[in-house]
Amino acid sequence: MNRADKIFIVIVIICTIALYASLGWIQSLDNGKKKIAVVEYKNEEILRIDMAKDETYTVEATKGTVYIEVKNGQIRVEKETSPYHYCSLQGWVERSNVPIVCLPNDLVIMIHGVDDESGEDVTLH
Amino acid sequence: MENRYTKTKRLMTITMLLTMSILLQLLEPGLPLPVPGVKLGLANIMGLITLFLFTPKDMLSVNLLRVLLASLLRGTLFGTAFWLSLSGVCLSTVMVILLKKYTPMSIIGLSVASSVFHCLGQILAVSVIWDSIFMITYLPVMWVLSVPTGVLTGTISKQVLIRMKKEA
Repeated sequence: MNRADKIFIVIVIICTIALYASLGWIQSLDNGKKKIAVVEYKNEEILRIDMAKDETYTVEATKGTVYIEVKNGQIRVEKETSPYHYCSLQGWVERSNVPIVCLPNDLVIMIHGVDDESGEDVTLH
Repeated sequence: MENRYTKTKRLMTITMLLTMSILLQLLEPGLPLPVPGVKLGLANIMGLITLFLFTPKDMLSVNLLRVLLASLLRGTLFGTAFWLSLSGVCLSTVMVILLKKYTPMSIIGLSVASSVFHCLGQILAVSVIWDSIFMITYLPVMWVLSVPTGVLTGTISKQVLIRMKKEA
């Protein structure tokens, strides 16, 4: 490993820290807001979940039924059909804007913070 | 280095490197690793070796054919995963070729760069496909892991090159 390699690695680490910090800052903007989880299948919203309620949901996706569980303000994919099960291995997610992606099922689940006062009609991306 | 290979030997070597990279690409998901979803990028070793033994154009064809043929064999051609793989490999190969030309980085640094830009390419592609910029949330984690996996594959490539050059 020469000097140029080390400089490159340091640049990568600095970029990583900067990116991580700015993402954390964006997420902190949603603190104290009401949280909802949006389930998208092939880019279309198919389900909107209230994160305050503990419940289990099922959705039909490309490879079969996907079981989604909400508990204590956290969400996870409980069971799904896919070759490597990455999305159920990802486990619980409670922060907003952290997507749970299930590529073989064309499914994305993401928590959004919404303003409580503005009611239900909130524009999501 | 290049002129030590006859035309036929050169073709054979590139073909064998391509075959090995396809094999590594297909076998790699079966490797048990402590972190789910992480790949070492072993197939990239062959791409890097091609770059150092032959020309940037050869590296590009080995890498592109690897993605194309591996997904053809796996039966995922033109699926979402294929496009992610293709964008990752395109960006990483182009960046590695440019970095090799314009910086004094060694094969280990180039391997790290390859891994870093592969992740970036995939994240950009998935952001476009799913129309969500927040896929970038995965990037810091991927980049942190890129450094050790890149150093590992770079070191392997370096050792392979030392042995290949002795023989050639």
